[in-house]
Amino acid sequence: MELLGNLALGFGVAMTPANLFFALAGALVGTLIGVLPGIGPIATIAMLLPLTFHLEPTSGLIMLAGIFYGAQYGGSTTAILVNLPGETSSVVTCIDGHQMARQGRAGAALAVAALGSFFAGCISTLLIATFAPPLAILGQSFGAPEYFSLMVLGLIAAVVLAHGSVIKAVAMIILGLLVGLVGTDGNTGGTRFTFGITELTDGIDVATLAIGIFGIGEIITNLTQPQETRSLVAQKITRLWPTREDFHRAWPAVLRGTALGSVLGVLPGGGATLSSFAAYALEKRSSRHPEEFGRGAVEGVAGPESANNAGAQTSFIPMLTLGIPGNAVMALMIGALTIHGIQPGPQIMTERPQMFWGMIASMWIGNLMLVIINLPLIGMWVQLLKVPYRFLYLAILLFCGIGVYTVNNSAAAVLLAAFFGVCGYVFTRLECEPAPMILGFVLGPLMEENLRRAMRISSGDPMIFLQRPISLGLLVAAALLCLLVALPAIRSKREEAFQE
Amino acid sequence: MTIEPQPAPIRPGGMHFVLHALTRKDVLSGLLFVGVALFGLWLSRDYPIGTALRMGTGYVPRLLCWVLLGLGTVIVVMGLREGQDERRLDFSDRSGWRPVIFVTASLVIFGLTLERLGLVISILLLIAVGAVAARGLRPLETLAAAAVLIVLSWAIFILGLGLTIPVWPEW
Repeated sequence: MELLGNLALGFGVAMTPANLFFALAGALVGTLIGVLPGIGPIATIAMLLPLTFHLEPTSGLIMLAGIFYGAQYGGSTTAILVNLPGETSSVVTCIDGHQMARQGRAGAALAVAALGSFFAGCISTLLIATFAPPLAILGQSFGAPEYFSLMVLGLIAAVVLAHGSVIKAVAMIILGLLVGLVGTDGNTGGTRFTFGITELTDGIDVATLAIGIFGIGEIITNLTQPQETRSLVAQKITRLWPTREDFHRAWPAVLRGTALGSVLGVLPGGGATLSSFAAYALEKRSSRHPEEFGRGAVEGVAGPESANNAGAQTSFIPMLTLGIPGNAVMALMIGALTIHGIQPGPQIMTERPQMFWGMIASMWIGNLMLVIINLPLIGMWVQLLKVPYRFLYLAILLFCGIGVYTVNNSAAAVLLAAFFGVCGYVFTRLECEPAPMILGFVLGPLMEENLRRAMRISSGDPMIFLQRPISLGLLVAAALLCLLVALPAIRSKREEAFQE
Repeated sequence: MTIEPQPAPIRPGGMHFVLHALTRKDVLSGLLFVGVALFGLWLSRDYPIGTALRMGTGYVPRLLCWVLLGLGTVIVVMGLREGQDERRLDFSDRSGWRPVIFVTASLVIFGLTLERLGLVISILLLIAVGAVAARGLRPLETLAAAAVLIVLSWAIFILGLGLTIPVWPEW
């Protein structure tokens, strides 16, 4: 019954007018950027970090979280109506969702996506509330060796789960680790890779890197591509309610998607995008009518859309309980917390229960708001899609610039972001996935710190990682994952899964 | 990115073959990693390394650079051995340069002018330069967009958040 007490505390915090307002603001901004292709949650959250400086930490987190899961709702709208993914996590929704729209079932597809997401949101909120406390207690027994091994496991999982080439993903992580080293070494006081530039001695802020790679880089990439003609499904959306048959076919897919997304979200490198891809593959394989996929199968919308929302929300679990970011968005959340002087980790739950439970409760409230924002108000978002990209990118560019400046309060950071923007464009052209780089960037300093501490505990003996049972278990899991990728049979399966 | 319709028959070993293989995406990205690793090793050449027990400033950076060097080499070799030729970068397509140059330039100018010339003028400069990045520039439209964005950012960042960015040039 402790859970109920905790949730009551959380709802008490989340229901205050201010926090309700910030949950709504996050949900609205999230839907907006979800609907608009060309801007994603990573760049948006990085841009809005300065806004949270002036807020209570709880309100700030509630808003940022709302943006992340709100984007999962908004992304499906564009996918279904325009056949363009509003977010990377709704790429697979295009396949069947847009076909449904062309058959005049746009309303049903939108409703299934929103209701599936809502169901997944409720379940994953409950999962967080149930599993976070025991995990945090486990986390409190972790020492430096355990943390180091956990991060190794996390990075390896991120590689295995990344799109495309495994070895390039590893190289991108190392690159991120190296960029994370820029600045002053906290232990020896020496500076590294600063080129004698004073602004770099404090290191590079994660928001600067994220805005550069994901915000600016994406603008350049979008502008180099020929302007797509948006084939908005023109007819009025008359029926929002799915038919009985739609319901009958969608609900098992929603259940499967929620389960799959909840599991994949917890894994480092996982989260929304991976969950949606995996859920689509699962639906197609387990369906009795695989030939209908690609021609408007409702399962192809219900599964991935539930999975991406579930994955987005359960990816908060490692961040909230262990202080370890599983993906770039969580890394930015940690950035927001540290700005307020809060050290993320297992102690958050006991030291700041209001914040911890308030945020969890706000997720459920936010999901409820999102169903209302997305279904009855769908027409408003459709209008937004008519704004041409040549206006949109100027606004994004400007907010990126102001965002970077205010996070760092330094003009040099704006130049640095411009540099990372070019890097992001080059990575995209060379088919190097930039997400693992951000993960490496954030985990790098943490890993080095814990490696050093572990070495001091063991007087320089690396066997310490194998002698402590939890650490050993984590490393064995990491080794197994490596083995899995190396096996040729599984490798071809993996490639197959990502191709779908 | 345009895909070359039909690569001309190539005699292995020729200069053309080498250039051709170098434009493959995997080869190029491998070379990029090798380059960064070598640059990192050169930069960290004087950092004290220390021992595993008492790691110096250079221990982790140099370790990472060596790993990256190895990975980059493997990626280059794998890219060269790859049979297919579809995943190439086409350098004859110059349309990519325009956004790269003008988007970057607009941000750099914004960063350099914000503190001295104030929010309004730096936004005007950012939009003037940034608008060139897209094709089909429409001056009147862009001017209207600039006006809206200036008012919006002033309202959000100065009025709403009370940021201490100068709005007008400081004489």
